[in-house]
Formats: sequence, structure tokens, C-alpha cells
Amino acid sequence: MAVADFIISLLTFISIYSLFGIGLNLKFGFTGLIDFGHVAYFMIGAYVTVVLTMPAGAAGYSGIGGFALPAIFSALGPLGSLFGWILGVLGGMIAAAIVSLAVGIPTLRLREDYLAITALGIATILTTVVNDEEWLFNGPFGINTVHSPLRDVFPVSVGSFTLNMVVFGALSIAVFAFTGYWLVRVFQRQGRRGKLILGVLVPLIAVWYFVLPTLSGGMVELTRNTLWLFDPTAGPNGGIDYDRFILLVSVAALGGGYWLTERTINSPYGRILRSIREDEDVPRALGKETFQYKLQALMLGSALAGAAGALWAINIGFIAPDQFAATITFYAFTAVIVGGTANNKGVILGTAFFWGIRNGTRFIDVPSQYSIQLAAARLMLIGLVLILILYYRPEGLLGEQDYDIPLPSRNTSGGTDDV
Amino acid sequence: MSEQDTPSSKPDATETNSRATGGCGDPILRIQGVTKQFGGITALDGVDLTVDPGITGLIGPNGAGKTTLFNCLTGFHKPDDGQISLYETDITGKEPPTIAQQGMVRTFQIPRELADMTVFENLLLAPMNQHGERLLASWVRGEQFVEEEQTIRDRAREIAAFFELDHLLNEPAGSLSGGQRKLLEIARALLTDPDIVLLDEPLAGVNPTLEQKILSRIEDLVEDGYSFLLIEHDIDLIMDNCERVVVMHQGAVLTTGPPEEVQSDERVIEAYLGGDNV
Repeated sequence: MAVADFIISLLTFISIYSLFGIGLNLKFGFTGLIDFGHVAYFMIGAYVTVVLTMPAGAAGYSGIGGFALPAIFSALGPLGSLFGWILGVLGGMIAAAIVSLAVGIPTLRLREDYLAITALGIATILTTVVNDEEWLFNGPFGINTVHSPLRDVFPVSVGSFTLNMVVFGALSIAVFAFTGYWLVRVFQRQGRRGKLILGVLVPLIAVWYFVLPTLSGGMVELTRNTLWLFDPTAGPNGGIDYDRFILLVSVAALGGGYWLTERTINSPYGRILRSIREDEDVPRALGKETFQYKLQALMLGSALAGAAGALWAINIGFIAPDQFAATITFYAFTAVIVGGTANNKGVILGTAFFWGIRNGTRFIDVPSQYSIQLAAARLMLIGLVLILILYYRPEGLLGEQDYDIPLPSRNTSGGTDDV
Repeated sequence: MSEQDTPSSKPDATETNSRATGGCGDPILRIQGVTKQFGGITALDGVDLTVDPGITGLIGPNGAGKTTLFNCLTGFHKPDDGQISLYETDITGKEPPTIAQQGMVRTFQIPRELADMTVFENLLLAPMNQHGERLLASWVRGEQFVEEEQTIRDRAREIAAFFELDHLLNEPAGSLSGGQRKLLEIARALLTDPDIVLLDEPLAGVNPTLEQKILSRIEDLVEDGYSFLLIEHDIDLIMDNCERVVVMHQGAVLTTGPPEEVQSDERVIEAYLGGDNV
């Protein structure tokens, strides 16, 4: 497998878990709600979306549905089918939000530590119910008839092999160019330590991505890694394959979730959420119905987790209850804390960091008798990094983000204010 | 506007349709038989009191029940018995946000600034029923959102200047001095456009210069139509600045009246002031 294929798989993973983490950050980072049961909404989003989009009477499935929403709209063509899948995702998000509403009404009046432990208990109950009640979602056998949107359309080819290579290659290079431009800007804004870290890390990654594969696989590998969007083995003339499409969908969903959360936080609404985190009595004394805001933050964060679950289902192609263990929530907490609590960019950085170590170290070539030790060492490394960050930089790598509500400038005052 | 000017005059109570309202000169608060127990301790033992417009001082020895009364008035504690009315509206046992929306807000004995938020954000949080406090409005951001946010920012700057906090707007509230935190709390309470503000020891730990500034600010605000119920331990300060004084002792109201009358009440001297103080 070319490094590019691994990176595509890793980036898809990171995008999905970042969306999951952004939902958690809205609850925990911005509103101060410790939801140890966040994975439950990931599971609900995945299951409900899959059941709403899969065909009825699928072999080996004895649960509710499926409701075949994409098939219902397929008369309108591939876009109709895609619309049906999007409706399914929305259904998954709404289901996650509704369940979180039901969980939130009795639990959000609890003190934060009780809330945390109650949420964990409820999530465990939900996972157990899905596992034990076969009539619901097929119990422990899971669902392997996950609908993959636009699956039939891929691989997409725009013409001859050369044309495909040029078009998708140009797009690939454009992404590299944008990333390079962004890295230069980030580098310029950094202090001495930041410049040093970036100055070491970026060339190392570049050597790992471009130079090492070239040394082992020659120019073919270099080409494949450079023109990463172009898959020469996808169809007779090459093109863009389904995995790359899922990456783009996941990145777009992450972008949407990021935008929505930023919009929410950088507003008077967000001010109330943050005041609840700081000291709930203060907004209450100022006439804010904080319970409703906590409930809404819980629902919105859970809906984002639900969307992440829907994407996760199509990425993996199979869902079962044992995939939604409580550890997934704690992975997300680790990512949020490492990147910077109450910082959406920090969540993405923390998630990349966490899954980069967890999945990236699989490339390390060790004798098979040491593979178990490697898996343990991987978790130890993550734990060690977490401890070091909590000790030396408790606010996380990026710290809490800045807030701003941009307003159109006025003649009298001009500009915008940081608020 | 200079920093010595008062901020925008208080909006007419009749303009705020959800508010408890009353005629000019009517008591703002009526408290009848309010009782509150914590386990075997009776913190409030049938408190009867009316609070008129203006500045009312509330004094009493430690443990007299002053802060518990504040907590009951503002909904942070539910009274076991009795009735509290804000103008003609019964607010007994209502939740704090409901009572604040009715026009009664409070500050806390130990200032509770939102430490990680800026001074400006602390102030911007306060105005009631902001359009942008709705989730959908925060996403869509129409004309009303922009105009209201601009107005609120102007008001927050104005009141920050009034309390001499304008040079600290972008600082985290946690970095303010003790006195500045007290000012921030009062400023934040006033931005809700209340009818009455309950100030719990706003002058404790404040240096004399700042103390006089706070008092003169409060007097200016009273002229603008705001009323204050003020807990304070400095008797001279209460006697010099309040139109009416309430003395609490052992969970009940010992006496109420003009400062000079209260000062010469023998029960008050016995319970609180001490013979040598008068």
C-alpha cells in the first residue's frame, strides 16, 4: 500500500473522530458538561443512519427496518440517492439529539461529577440494550449491509488515463500548495519554540512521505504519493476512487461541524454557554435559563457525534455494538485535552496527534512476537504524552481559543471588537 | 459622556412588558413571614419586611440571616414558608432566572466574576433576552442580531466608563483587583435593567477612596430610578447613605426605619451596635 493510501485512510479516520471530538468539545470544553457517555450518540447516529438507508429484508438482519431512503429517492438519479442518504444522516443526528434530550432532562440538574458518571452508566446501558436486543438492530451480529452513498458512481474517471492523471494530479498539488501556504503562515506566527518544533516536524514528515517511499519504491511511489488524489488502479483509466471520495465527504462534514460550532460559540449564545462553564449561578442570577442552554448544548454536541457515527459506518462498512465501547469517549477526551480544551482547532490537532500515534505506529516493522508489546507500548506512549502535556501545558497544545463576534464596521467606531 | 455621568437612564418599568410593575412610591418588595431552615438551624424565622424605592440598608450581626434572605429573595434558596412579592407579583420559590427577569438582580458576597472571560464579555452577557442568545439566531445573524449586538456593546462601554473599568475591557475578569470585581458585579447587574439590585456587602474589603466612588455611583443611579437593598457591616456608612435601615437579628427583623431612629433603638444597640458605639 502506498503511503498516500495509508494517509487517506488515516485522514478519513481523523476527520470523523475530529467531528466526534468537536461535539464533545461543545459539551465539555465550552459548556463544562462532562459527558462520559458521548460514544452512545456516535452509536445511535451510526445505527439509525444505517437502518434508515439500508434496504428492507437484508440477508442476516432481523432488526427494525431497513427503510431504504436512498432507494426511495433513486428515481431522481444518483443525486436523489445521495439526498436519501443525507436524510438518513439527518435522521441519525436527530435521533442522537432526542436521546440526549431524554438523558439530559434528569441528569443535567446533577453536579458535574455525578453527571459524568451517570452519563457513562446510561451509555453503557444503551450499548448493552443494542447488543442484547436482537429485534432492535440485530444484536451482537451487527449490520453489514451499510449503504454507501454514490458507491456505483465510483471510480470517477474524466477521460483517458493521462487526462485523469492531469486533472486529479493538479487537484492533489493544489492541496499540497494550500497546505504549504498555510504552514508558512502558521510558521511565521510562531514563537521561537513553535518555529523549532515545526522546523523539525514538517521536514521529518516530508522525508517520511516523499523521500523514504522513493528510495524503496522508486519514482512510481513518489508519483503516487504526490498525485495522491489520483488512483491509477481505479478503473481502466485510473481516476478517483471511493476511499478518496469518503475522505472528501468526511473533511466536508468536519468543515461543516467546525463552522457550525464556531458560529455557535462566537455569539451571545456562546457567551452564555461559557458563563455556565465558569459559574452557572452567575448567568442564572442575570436571568438566563441555563438549564435550557445546557440541554441544547448537549443535543447539538450529540447530533455532531451522530453525524460522525454515520460517516464512521460507511467508512468501516460494518457496525456492531462492541465497536462503541466507552474507550472511544475517553480517546476523544484525550484528544480534546491534548489539543486544547475549548479550542476547535485544538480538537483537530489533538485527534490527529492521538490517531497518528495510534495508527501511524502500525507501520513500524517489528517481529510478530513483539506485536502485542508494540500495541501496549503505543498506549503507553499516548499515556506518557498526556501526562507530560497535563503537567507542562495543562491548557493543551493550543490552549483555549480566542472569541470574536465580527460585526460590520460603523462610521462612528469602525472595525470589530474582540469579545 | 464623561466618566462621572450616569449611564443611560433606567428604562421605564412599564416598557418592559414581562416585568412586575408598580406605581411610583409603592413598596418594591413585600416579604411576609419568610422562614428558612437548614436542618435544625432556623436561618430565617418569619421575616416581615417591605422595601421602598431608594437605598435600603440591611444590617445585622454575623449569622443574622441577611445573605440567606438575599438567597430566598433571588430564588437561590426556596423559603420553607412565607410569601415574597415584587411589586404585586408573587415570586415566592421562583427560579433565579425568572426573578431576575421580573426585575430583581443580585450581586454575591464574594464577587463571582467569570474569571476566564474578559471584562467586556462579563458585561455583554448581562442584558436580558438578547436576540443572539437563541441558537438559530446565532447561526443566521440577521440585521437584528447585528444592531442589537452593537447597541449592547455601546451600553457595556458606557457603563464600564461609569465604573472606571473601560481601560480593562479586554482583560480577563480574573485579573481584576477585589474592588474592581465588586464594581464589575454591580455594572453587570445594572446592565440587566433591573428595578432593584440586591448588593451583598459591595464595600467589604474595598479601600475608602473606591468605597466613596461606589457609593456616589449608587446615589447617582438611585436618581435615575434604580433601587438598592444593601447588606453592609460598616454602620456609619449605612447610616450616612441609606434612606431606610433594616436590622436583622437571629433570623428575624428587629426593627426598620430611618437611620437616626434605628440608631437610637435600644434593641439594636443591645443586639448589634453595642453600647459604646452610639
